[in-house]
Amino acid sequence: MEMSSTPTFAPGCRLHPTQEVMLVPEGTLKLTGPSRDILLRVDGQRTVTEIADDLLQGYPETNTDEIRNDILDLLARLEQRGVLRTTQLPTPNDLRS
Amino acid sequence: MTSEANPILPGPLSLIAELTHRCPLHCLYCSNPIEMQRASDELSTEDWTRVFQQAAKLGVLHLHLTGGEPLVRKDLPELIRAGREAGLYVNMITSGVGMTEQCLATLVDAGLEHLQLSFQDLEEESANHIAGTRSHAIKLALVPILKKFHLAFTVNLVVHRMNLDRLEDFIALAEDLGPDRLEIAHVQYYGWALKNRALLMPTEEQVHRALPIVEAARERLKGRIHLESVFPDYFGSFPKACVGGWGRQMMLIDPVGQAMPCHSAAVIPGLTFDNVRQHDLRWIWRDSAAFQRFRGDSWMSDTCLACPRKERDLGGCRCQAFMLTGDAEAIDPVCTYSPHHGLLQTLRTSTPEVLPIWRG
Repeated sequence: MEMSSTPTFAPGCRLHPTQEVMLVPEGTLKLTGPSRDILLRVDGQRTVTEIADDLLQGYPETNTDEIRNDILDLLARLEQRGVLRTTQLPTPNDLRS
Repeated sequence: MTSEANPILPGPLSLIAELTHRCPLHCLYCSNPIEMQRASDELSTEDWTRVFQQAAKLGVLHLHLTGGEPLVRKDLPELIRAGREAGLYVNMITSGVGMTEQCLATLVDAGLEHLQLSFQDLEEESANHIAGTRSHAIKLALVPILKKFHLAFTVNLVVHRMNLDRLEDFIALAEDLGPDRLEIAHVQYYGWALKNRALLMPTEEQVHRALPIVEAARERLKGRIHLESVFPDYFGSFPKACVGGWGRQMMLIDPVGQAMPCHSAAVIPGLTFDNVRQHDLRWIWRDSAAFQRFRGDSWMSDTCLACPRKERDLGGCRCQAFMLTGDAEAIDPVCTYSPHHGLLQTLRTSTPEVLPIWRG
């Protein structure tokens, strides 16, 4: 995972619609701090940089480098856990047509 | 303990729905009970739909559809849809026997999110021998079909004395299949598996040789295939926190609607299970006798009560304690502090010259 990568959720991995957890096959991962806000912006379209920029909007005085690194660190860890991917997957409809 | 005494009891996180005991496989290590429920007594689509809605209200996040073979239920797509509409994450464990691409498309459209397929061995002949059915080739042929769909896919390798020496090659087979997750699960001796314990029990040497192989695979596959492994608890010094503690995280509904705290709770004499046909899940979870029987620590021996590990293993496994000692309140014999711990030493060195027993 790099700042220019475009993360997307792996099959079978999704945010719970209301609770602070990620639902993954056979389990749940508890989300802490701003993790949910970060993951809400993972849509397979935005790069890590764009996700960070979106989150930092309206907070011009914050230490943006540190926050960018924290965001990258979280997304990289979730990629290692198999929850996120950085390659674009074909959708089921592409394959079935 | 009543609901008045425990007003803030957390709800379960997982619901295991044993849709049927019917199954095309006859695995030597089958963990289903020896006395199986009849097809004609199975819960209806409406019953299960109501149960899933009640489960979601109770706080359940994950629904695990299993059996038997879930595919023998003609209403499986409706059941998956009912689970998703209730707000649950839908997992399914299948043998793959009877699955077609069209059938899978229907299940994925209905909302299936994760499918688990287990393998019995890496060679066809041996795998079919363990499964009691010619199913290995069917499973292998299903994998490329699965990968056409947006669906999480787990390969489960069930290991024991008969295949543990081939673990490295077995993992290589799984790796070639390219799942999202890989589970390496030692057989646990419940249900039918208990009949074949002497045949399936690995040797001490096999178990210890397997550990670094699993760890090496975990490192090697990191970021590609998420690996989870289940250690054979007969070889441990402390018990597992079975089902996350009795009546704490999990509820199982059997094919006829009996609600149980775990897969094999029916072996414990004197326990009666309330049925979802008569009762709401919330009442069963909070107030039914079976769920309260070993909840908390009031049933524990003085040894356990004084032990700080009780917060971690929550008293171990009650079914195992009963099956090995005849007393469901006994210290789990896996625990080094159990007066029966020596029994495991004997079982670990049992003779392999026994014949397999398949279920009918």
